[in-house]
Amino acid sequence: MSSDPRLTRAGSRTATPTHPPPPPPPVGPAPIVSSDGGVDGTRIDGSQPVDASGQDNFKLKFCTVCASNQNRSMEAHLRLSAAHYPVVSFGTGSLVRLPGPTITQPNVYAFNTTSYDSMYKELEGKDPRLYRANGLLNMLERNRGVKWGPERWQDWRIGVPRLNHQQDRGSIGVEGGVVDIVITCEERCFDAVVDDLLNRGSPLNRPVHVFNVDIRDNHEEALVGGKAILDLADSLNRAAAEERIIHGDSGWEEGNGASRTNFDERVPEILGDWQERWPQMPALWTLAWF
Amino acid sequence: MSQPLASVADQLAQLDAARKLVLGDSAFYSQIVQGILPIVGAHARVELRRWGADFLAETFASPGLSLEQKQQLCLLVLQTIKEILELPSEDASVIKSMVQASASIYPLVFRHIIANPDDAPTWEKMAAIKSNILRRWDTAPAGVRVCCIKFVQRVVQVQTPGAPADPRRAEQSETSLTLVPRNHPLIPTTNLEAETFGLLDRMLNVFHENPLDAILVNATLNCLGGLIRSRPSISNKIISTILNFNPLKQASMPLTSKVKVIVKSMERTTRALLLNINKRNPNGPLAGKIHQYMERMAQSRLEFFDDANRKRGPPIEPTDGLDQAKRLRLGAGVPDTPTPTITVPPLPPGPASYAQLFTLTRDEAFRSFDVSQLPIDLVIKIALPVLYRLDQKVLDPAINGLRARYDTYVKQQQRAAPRAAPVDEDDEAYEPDFEPTEDPEQIMNKLDNDVEEPEDTYAPPDVALGQFELPPPPPMSQDETANIGRGTVARVFSMMNMLDESGSAVSKKTKTGINRLAASSYDREAWLTVIIRLATRASTGLDDYDPEANIKTEDGPSTSMTKSTDISLSDSIRDALYLYFIEDFRRRMDIAIAWLNEEWYNERVQKENGNDPQPTYEKWALKIIDGILPYLDAKDKMLIRLLSEMPAVSEAVLERVKKLAGDPERVSLAVNSLHYLILLRPPVRDICIDALEDLWRNYEDARSSAAKLLARWRPQVLQQQQQQQQQQDQVGAVTSASNSATPVPVPVSAPAPAPAPTPAPSSS
Repeated sequence: MSSDPRLTRAGSRTATPTHPPPPPPPVGPAPIVSSDGGVDGTRIDGSQPVDASGQDNFKLKFCTVCASNQNRSMEAHLRLSAAHYPVVSFGTGSLVRLPGPTITQPNVYAFNTTSYDSMYKELEGKDPRLYRANGLLNMLERNRGVKWGPERWQDWRIGVPRLNHQQDRGSIGVEGGVVDIVITCEERCFDAVVDDLLNRGSPLNRPVHVFNVDIRDNHEEALVGGKAILDLADSLNRAAAEERIIHGDSGWEEGNGASRTNFDERVPEILGDWQERWPQMPALWTLAWF
Repeated sequence: MSQPLASVADQLAQLDAARKLVLGDSAFYSQIVQGILPIVGAHARVELRRWGADFLAETFASPGLSLEQKQQLCLLVLQTIKEILELPSEDASVIKSMVQASASIYPLVFRHIIANPDDAPTWEKMAAIKSNILRRWDTAPAGVRVCCIKFVQRVVQVQTPGAPADPRRAEQSETSLTLVPRNHPLIPTTNLEAETFGLLDRMLNVFHENPLDAILVNATLNCLGGLIRSRPSISNKIISTILNFNPLKQASMPLTSKVKVIVKSMERTTRALLLNINKRNPNGPLAGKIHQYMERMAQSRLEFFDDANRKRGPPIEPTDGLDQAKRLRLGAGVPDTPTPTITVPPLPPGPASYAQLFTLTRDEAFRSFDVSQLPIDLVIKIALPVLYRLDQKVLDPAINGLRARYDTYVKQQQRAAPRAAPVDEDDEAYEPDFEPTEDPEQIMNKLDNDVEEPEDTYAPPDVALGQFELPPPPPMSQDETANIGRGTVARVFSMMNMLDESGSAVSKKTKTGINRLAASSYDREAWLTVIIRLATRASTGLDDYDPEANIKTEDGPSTSMTKSTDISLSDSIRDALYLYFIEDFRRRMDIAIAWLNEEWYNERVQKENGNDPQPTYEKWALKIIDGILPYLDAKDKMLIRLLSEMPAVSEAVLERVKKLAGDPERVSLAVNSLHYLILLRPPVRDICIDALEDLWRNYEDARSSAAKLLARWRPQVLQQQQQQQQQQDQVGAVTSASNSATPVPVPVSAPAPAPAPTPAPSSS
């Protein structure tokens, strides 16, 4: 586990001052802080375990999307699952593309049928020194600890139960094959997702908030981006949970003032506040349909 | 309290287990759904109702469950859904899921009703659910309203004719109005159609009513895609509505981060939907309009967000999954970008050709390529853009290199030819000499001859030619100049006449606003500007000399000479302009106004420069007014336009306007023009009111209308008149003849603001 990128970050942040330090973590639930030093494979503690004891544990279901389902979406997937959010992740590209020895020789894999583990082994067999130096092996090692292999967004059969993904981290809660929030990591992916949902014709009649958080595709930015996405997820989840508590047993009529404003209504505001905390990641949002 | 809570937790755990079961195998659905209905019904605790609502929504949305199974199940759950929806103050999340479930169920029930026309109770339940949801549509919290929108979208989709159903695959074809028989007892198609239109209108209303409610707008936009695609009968209507919607309209609001998110999101969603439509149907009837709309939107988006500074530059790192093929070279790229240094290799010793002298490339293939084989227009096509884009930093060293190369070559030649006379640098003309003066040009010639034409066909001339200079043309006489000047002016006018027809449409297209450069577009307006400036400014250059000439020789013959030329130059243009304008003054009013503005401006500039120009503006303004006055009819707007847009209105001009009132038909035109000026041209208000007063006093026909205006603008005049009359009535001795004559002697020409007090005593 020494190769976990999280561990390298502590050093790399001071070593590469080109990246502005991320804003201070918002006053949020404990998981952010506790997961900071978390390591792959070991269960991250400090946050309460998932149980069905009450409303407090209401969790929105998330989906993270990037181009190849390797770097940014997987970092966010790990982050969110570490905070015990139900989460799935996808890529919108046509193929999984990883850098090769030269620009013209990328390593290309098919979505859905290639596991992170097999990619890891193949690259390790090809040139361990190169792929360790450019961070690919570290990344794949992280990914193979999160789920089996990269999945393509366009091939996702939304609403089909995902019972065969129980080994994936963050799989608890997304057995139904649907999510409440989709977070893409690049405008191109956002467009692909919105367009794909339009093409599907919204057969499930289920609303889904689609966000875009622009993250550059490198290891360092992915780490910062994962943190930002977790912050967004926390803000959204807090609002959604509040809605359920306030309008729960006491009923709609007894809610007052701000508490009456519904979760969905607050989304633009939440994103606006988030954007002020993370100005370096231009965000987008829309309400689409599954 | 803890006891029931625990049991709720237990029940939820059991329910979750049941859900796991059906997720694993959809065959259990009918069993489980029937089993849970009593547990999660309207009388259960809210936690259970929430679970049940979510489960029902999931069940009827699930792609794992076949259409037949769903159709059977939907009949079972209708009652429960209805009851829960009708609960007072129901939890929002339960409603949300129930509306979702209803949206999925509606097509199923509809299909069932088509097949079973007698099942009125089921249809009634569905209708009750529908009206319940429609009631919530406007008042519920946003999350629920969004789901209501989706429900309505489903209803509209079901209740409009779909694509013609394939009879062989009736089971597979989608539920739509097409499947309903005309004479169905429960769902008569005409009623459905009417209802659908109403719902669709209400749905599209969101773009007008809640343009800032991003969540509703986005939800609507994102579910309209399916309707547009599958329901051609209403797609045009939907698209036109969207095209009339402008998500950036809210620019006046303070741009908080929330508003930014909202506006950006609506703009983006609209764009995504339109892009999707055009991608699917690039030849649709509205494709062109959609394209225009998106271009317009892109433009206003830039203006709205002033994005340029916030936009991310090109990605510093690869963007596609660490794809190295797309990686921008960072470190390696740096030495690439500076301009390539040009090295100029020295010429080989010995005679060289032009070609050799100017060749910089070392590429053999390029060297041997003979450019002269290319057609000249192709060469131009290549050379011009290349020259245009050529970096100065590249060009300069190359030229310098060539210069150095040339200098060294010349020196070599001189050394090789010791007889050479020193180069006379000043004399560039061709001076034949029997001794070759090694003039640069001659060297070049020689080089050429030596190499390119090795066979000695060209012998240096034996006879010396005298130096030849083209004699300057004989000076033109005044008349000739004037004639040619007039010819030029006539030519420009004929050009404008041509452009009048063809160019007016073109010129309208390119309205570049205030930043345009006058006379740069070569259309009619540009030529007009040229001609007007020629008339107004060209002669002022002469004027600069004129006054001195005038002073020197007062009344001398030379003065009249200069004056006459001056007049013949600029005034002939003015005459031509005037005629051109009068030819069609209604359409060419803008010309007159532009011209007058230029005249006026020029006069001012001259004054500022200390010159005392001839009063051309006044002269031509009067001439123009005189020119059009005879043609104006009673309701003509031309005069008002001219008066309002000409740069200065003088009393003489108003005098002309007043004369209009002499014609009983055009009294109102005169009065209205004055009224307009009074209202909208404050600087000339006083003299206009004076003119009005004059009208009132001296023009019988204009009296009543002028009095009305005077009552507002200069009431004291009227009052005085009244007083006077009263006095006269009191005196009673004055005859009616003298009474009517009283207003006449009032001095009108005096521009004093209050001329009223004086005349009263004088008349009495």
